[in-house]
Amino acid sequence: MAFEQPACQTCESTLISRLFCFSCNAFQPLPREIDLFEVMGLPIAFEIDSEELEELYQRLSLELHPDFFETAPEAEKRLSETALVILNRAYNTLRDSTLRAGYLLFLLAKDKKLDERTLPVGFLQQMFNMQEALDELLNSDDTAALIRMSKDLQDRHKKIETSFVSLFKIIEDSPEDLEKLQQLQTYLNADRYLRRLVDRIPENGLLQN
Amino acid sequence: MAYSEKVIDHYSDPRNVGSLDKSDENVGTGLVGAPECGDVMKLQIQVDPVSKEIIDAKFKTFGCGSAIASSSLATEWVKGKSIDEAMSIQNTEIVEELSLPPVKIHCSVLAEDAIKAAISDYKSRNED
Repeated sequence: MAFEQPACQTCESTLISRLFCFSCNAFQPLPREIDLFEVMGLPIAFEIDSEELEELYQRLSLELHPDFFETAPEAEKRLSETALVILNRAYNTLRDSTLRAGYLLFLLAKDKKLDERTLPVGFLQQMFNMQEALDELLNSDDTAALIRMSKDLQDRHKKIETSFVSLFKIIEDSPEDLEKLQQLQTYLNADRYLRRLVDRIPENGLLQN
Repeated sequence: MAYSEKVIDHYSDPRNVGSLDKSDENVGTGLVGAPECGDVMKLQIQVDPVSKEIIDAKFKTFGCGSAIASSSLATEWVKGKSIDEAMSIQNTEIVEELSLPPVKIHCSVLAEDAIKAAISDYKSRNED
């Protein structure tokens, strides 16, 4: 997707992040709706460079650390606090593939009317059954079975992630493809139910990557 | 976020947890979910074939405290009601009774949807 590198309002150098200029250390005026990809200096796409994300996050959190603003004028202090909140929201949203897919879909489908509740056929019943099975597993000492379930869940999540990659690529070329956008919504919903199950599994049952 | 006393009461002592026989023709089963958070809720009603009154209700919910409290309350409310009366239960009544905050309103919507889904399942299996 097209990505125009914004410039600093103070010194006009090219901005890496929409929040802050590393050349002249100036905070940037914040638009009403800020694009989280722009905050992290990333092109608007599902596949991201995680290293780049981590690196910029570290750099910006250092610059925006509240310790540096203790004696700053009130206005600058407030700017730095707002920027830090936005930075953390951007980082937490973009590093997580489910949240990132949700945010990207939100950006792409803004003015389109998607049905936000769609799920693959029979999926809800499957999730209910898995929740019940997990209840039983958590009440037993069967760690092996718990690990099996965790692996199954992670496999399902990975499959959905793969579909995200290919579907978002198609949307990039034809952003008006409503059917594909709806398909993305369906997978995203499914992924959230899976996530809910994964979150219930204690650490000793989680598969070590 | 602090839960209201009534939510805590239902959450720590949920009413009518369990299952009814899905294949019984007098039983209606509703299964609903909230894709925004991944909560899943099953609510079942048992209808008296003669009086058409809901004589029993059970639920099982995998979700947050508000979702559990909403469905627990829903089973209490539908019991003893006719199908039409149960059908008219609104999520706003649940919000009011449990003092749910705005971010938890979708839990009450889920409970209302579950009642409606159970009734429509019962009806579809008892069409004359």
